[in-house]
Amino acid sequence: MVSGAKTGVPPLSVVTMTTLRPVDLTGHWNNRGISAAAGTGSGGFNVWRNSFPAEYLPPPGAQVEVEGVPFRFGGPDPAGDNIRCAGQYVELPEGRYDWIHLLTAAERRTEDTVALHFAGGEVDFEPLRVSDFWARAHAAFGEAKAFETPVMHYPHHVQPRVEALMWSQRVPVTRRAPLRGLRLPRNVAIHLFAMTLQTAGEPVAERS
Amino acid sequence: MSTPPATPALWYRDLISCLQSTLAAALLREGRDPVDALGAHWEFLFKPGDVTSEEFYYPCRYPGDLGRSLAPHHGLSTTWHRPADPGDPLEDVRRALKDGHFPIIAVDNFHLPFRPAYQDVHAAHLIVVYGLDEAAGQAYVSDAMPPAHAGPIPVAALLAAWTSSNPKDVQDAFFSDSAIGGRYLTVTVGDAPETTPAFVREVLTANVAGFEADRDTAGWGGLAGVRDFTMSLAGRARAGDARALEEAYPFGWGMQAQAALHAEFLRACGTRWEVPALREAARLAEHVAHAWTGVRITAAHGRSDPAAAAPDLARHGGRLVAAYEAAVAGLREAAGFL
Repeated sequence: MVSGAKTGVPPLSVVTMTTLRPVDLTGHWNNRGISAAAGTGSGGFNVWRNSFPAEYLPPPGAQVEVEGVPFRFGGPDPAGDNIRCAGQYVELPEGRYDWIHLLTAAERRTEDTVALHFAGGEVDFEPLRVSDFWARAHAAFGEAKAFETPVMHYPHHVQPRVEALMWSQRVPVTRRAPLRGLRLPRNVAIHLFAMTLQTAGEPVAERS
Repeated sequence: MSTPPATPALWYRDLISCLQSTLAAALLREGRDPVDALGAHWEFLFKPGDVTSEEFYYPCRYPGDLGRSLAPHHGLSTTWHRPADPGDPLEDVRRALKDGHFPIIAVDNFHLPFRPAYQDVHAAHLIVVYGLDEAAGQAYVSDAMPPAHAGPIPVAALLAAWTSSNPKDVQDAFFSDSAIGGRYLTVTVGDAPETTPAFVREVLTANVAGFEADRDTAGWGGLAGVRDFTMSLAGRARAGDARALEEAYPFGWGMQAQAALHAEFLRACGTRWEVPALREAARLAEHVAHAWTGVRITAAHGRSDPAAAAPDLARHGGRLVAAYEAAVAGLREAAGFL
């Protein structure tokens, strides 16, 4: 429903066919940001080697839903459980999309740029904004909070009252063309745990 | 002491350090808004050779006065001290508390039971002391940094943290290897102007002038200083200088926090007075804070191989310069609407 309250334009009803497609990121994992309480030393999300507690997150390979968007966590993989962004190029199932949803977290809040590569060779740069994973951080960019754990893992202990936060952020695809790839930022502060592509479909409008 | 002292307010923001959170505690005791006091002034200043490995490092424009350097418009001033009698360092705390002041003391987190680094990592930090019950062997301390704490700890722990040599710790290259040595800060909060549109216009004009100054006798200041700092950091990284990358983390924290608080200050004013240009300037200042993350975290992770990190440091340095330039233009434009 689109409000016309301020413009005097009557509200419109629109019908769209939304599809949501989790992306397999196998082959890109390069960081272990989640650890079990029995082995906190295996994690190293940030420079202090803190990590998310596995006990409070979905298991590897699980499908989760955040604000209606399905994400799939990476399966067990010796290479890690997330992508620490270092300019990787991620090939996508070619198609027309409207949003790229990301399960993400940052070692301090930051913003950078992703490059969207289209089938015709066009490239659009779009902002990627991610809030801090550290305790008491807020959604500085209006993201949805995906997970907030009651403890933080330190290399040698489990720390109560220091929460770890993971966010659901989205990047717009404004070009009406088939998307085929995504260049992640060269910014090691940003970590990516899952990605889902959304096609909102073209609206079919009728006067209500 | 039979009744525990009243707990001071704990004030925290995600991009600040213990420096801002402890000064905020002093400001709140005087009924001041920390965002007004700590967020009005904004500058860039790098002082080569001055950076210490402490969470509370800040390049002081007014030597030795962190308070005035952070809040020159708001009557805030701080003085560093060491205990007059090293044999009885608590006497300074007793005297301050008796006079109604809460000293801010430097500590080594390794000795503080409420810090995650307890008995694990050495790191220099600041906390507020707001009570002392020597009969019970307890000191009352507050710390707004997560996990926030306000309450008693053993006096023995306080003394150990306060007098620590804070030795070099491989787990913390940024805040260890800097002797604490009983240092503490006293804070005075003088008269402050009312936050009016005229005052904010004056502050914005002063901030812009500082950023655009041709020369800065205090160090590498203003936009020219940002350019020099970022080029120097990338250059030293290419030369394999790990120390340059280690310094970038504590130095950048002060700069990042100040940009974030200035953004919050401008956003609050722009919302209160319905001035969109102020809110837009706030967002541009906030962008500077976010660009600092790229510089700081890239430097932190790049210490083991500085030369390999040099290209990314150059990239993030360029983004930081562009962010500052855009923000300064935004401040100038916003001042015109006040």
